[in-house]
Amino acid sequence: MSTLLTYISVNDGKIKRSSLEVLSRCNQLAKEKGLTSAALVVDQNPGAVTDTLKKYGPSVIYTIENPIFKNHLNTPLLKALSAAVEKINPKLVAFASTEGSKDILGALAANRRASALADMSEFELTDNGVKGKRPVMASKIISAVEAEGECVMITVRSGSYDVVEQEGDTSVEPIDFSFSDDELRLTLKEIISSSSDRIDLSEAEVVIAAGRGVKDEEGRNLISELASVLNAGVGASRALTEAGDYDPSLQIGQTGKVVSPQLYIGIGISGAIQHVAGMANSKVIVAINKDPDAPIFDIADYGLVGDLYKVLPPFIEEIKKVKSEK
Amino acid sequence: MKFYVCIKQVPDVNAPLQIKDGKLVQDADRNILNAYDASAVEEALVLTEAHGGEVEVVLAGPEKAKETLRKALAMGAHKGTHIVTSGDEPFDSFSFGKILAKFFSDKEYNFILCGKQSQDTDSGLTGSILAELLDKPYVTNAVGLKLEGETLTVKRQGDAGQEMIEVPSPGVVTCSNDMNDPRIPSLKGIMQSKRKPVETISVADIDAGVSADDVKTRVLSFEEKPEREPGKKYEGEPEEIAREVARLLDSAESVI
Ligand SMILES: Cc1cc2nc3c(=O)[nH]c(=O)nc-3n(C[C@H](O)[C@H](O)[C@H](O)COP(=O)(O)OP(=O)(O)OC[C@H]3O[C@@H](n4cnc5c(N)ncnc54)[C@H](O)[C@@H]3O)c2cc1C
Ligand SMILES: Nc1ncnc2c1ncn2[C@@H]1O[C@H](COP(=O)(O)O)[C@@H](O)[C@H]1O
Repeated sequence: MSTLLTYISVNDGKIKRSSLEVLSRCNQLAKEKGLTSAALVVDQNPGAVTDTLKKYGPSVIYTIENPIFKNHLNTPLLKALSAAVEKINPKLVAFASTEGSKDILGALAANRRASALADMSEFELTDNGVKGKRPVMASKIISAVEAEGECVMITVRSGSYDVVEQEGDTSVEPIDFSFSDDELRLTLKEIISSSSDRIDLSEAEVVIAAGRGVKDEEGRNLISELASVLNAGVGASRALTEAGDYDPSLQIGQTGKVVSPQLYIGIGISGAIQHVAGMANSKVIVAINKDPDAPIFDIADYGLVGDLYKVLPPFIEEIKKVKSEK
Repeated sequence: MKFYVCIKQVPDVNAPLQIKDGKLVQDADRNILNAYDASAVEEALVLTEAHGGEVEVVLAGPEKAKETLRKALAMGAHKGTHIVTSGDEPFDSFSFGKILAKFFSDKEYNFILCGKQSQDTDSGLTGSILAELLDKPYVTNAVGLKLEGETLTVKRQGDAGQEMIEVPSPGVVTCSNDMNDPRIPSLKGIMQSKRKPVETISVADIDAGVSADDVKTRVLSFEEKPEREPGKKYEGEPEEIAREVARLLDSAESVI
């Protein structure tokens, strides 16, 4: 029976929620079409996540274990995925869209003679492939697309599907894999990681984004304070990641990350389309900007026209009050 | 040091556009050099200015895309190749990957730079497809490049942090626009670009085995994005509007 294979991204021994979104969607499609939904974990220690993964009910969890997968490097990952695809012969290989999966999608598809579609916001199966939707033109427009082929590989935007737990019998099947250093071709010299206790932006329920209007330390302190009151992830516009005020991995937008939180608060951000491309799917959008004509107000549910240095202190104080009343 | 940079002409996403019968219609035919490719050109220029060498740009696209090739030459690239297509073929990243791979199959180079994605489609596939077809090591999403001898050290933006990765020559790197501000061509650069060598080849002569029939991914139609309900603007005393909205986020939205 044909298999729909979901690649499960694991970071520091934790499954990325966006992979579970994709798996949940594949489970549903498998059920509708009488196919098998399987998950694939490629990690230094896949055993650490298989029990959690079983709750989401794939029929099979394939695992590839090797210390090389401690860090992301495309050469071993491509070899592992290529081996898994060869063995499982899936109709669909679906990834959550991450820098890790975007790194290998094209090469893997070229290697397996599969077709590929990146950054889908919706997908379904057709008789000879996959069709679905993806945002284009800096997410101003949706394009309906299809891919043909015995195997189609896709990446899926975070927040596109709900995570659904399901009961079921799940078997775990390790796949043999070996890798020697001379196959690496690339050398990973160093990882400059930003603090790991930070809330993962792409999974945060509340996201605070700082823009060029946040000019100085006083402004950044207000942002941090608001974030801590709301237990929010902090992101930034390109203006501030470029200036070095915020870590580059915090950039939200077309070049950076896509977020889809319950609440997004943009502070001193004009709302350029390339920024909006990364946050337009937030449930509630709040914007604080002193320019009443800033484009961000066109998409904000609550637009506060004012100087952020004057608006934020009472805003923070009131939220604290609301929280303490609960 | 020989750098090739693959550049693409893309519609300007800032230009007003409409959808008519599922097709995309731009009010003005405004086309630009893909921003990510402009950063790749800039980076190649900076590296060759410091270490010596040559930058050649390659573009596959219709006749009118020649202006984009000229733009890269005006920035300072030394020469260019234009692989001419009709512009009507439904080519996808695989088609361009194959065309470029065939082009590079008999070329000598140290590094091929691409953009990390096309600004209009955000596909981000061509670079790694090209690397795989050429069987060369590659790194994507570069936010910084450093050259030592013939080894390029790439600072790559990963999911959580940045990875410093050494790529041996010959290799392929895809570039983010987060690594530099591409230079604006000077008047002198524009004048000089007119005399720079541009080779023109038709896509048929490349003979990469791509045709409209074997393109496996297709755009079926374009749709408007569901509009967001217009929200409310709060103007007035900062103190008052701040408190009012903070309350509503709880009472009306239950998101805090
Ligand atoms: C291909 C491409 C990709 C890109 N990708 C991204 C991306 O991923 N993410 C991204 O963010 N950008 C991206 N950009 C850049 C984008 O176009 C904008 O330049 C950027 O988003 C602007 O950031 P900003 O809103 O912080 O700054 P600005 O546009 O300068 O806006 C600052 C705002 O702050 C307001 N302000 C100033 N002072 C105050 C104050 N005291 N109180 C309240 N408001 C104040 C101003 O009114 C203004 O509206 C990309 C661009 C290109 C070409
Ligand atoms: N027609 C083309 N001509 C030259 N380079 C291209 C072409 N198409 C794609 N590329 C390169 O591949 C990158 C990624 O393209 P894409 O897969 O369309 O997102 C671009 O930034 C270019 O560097």
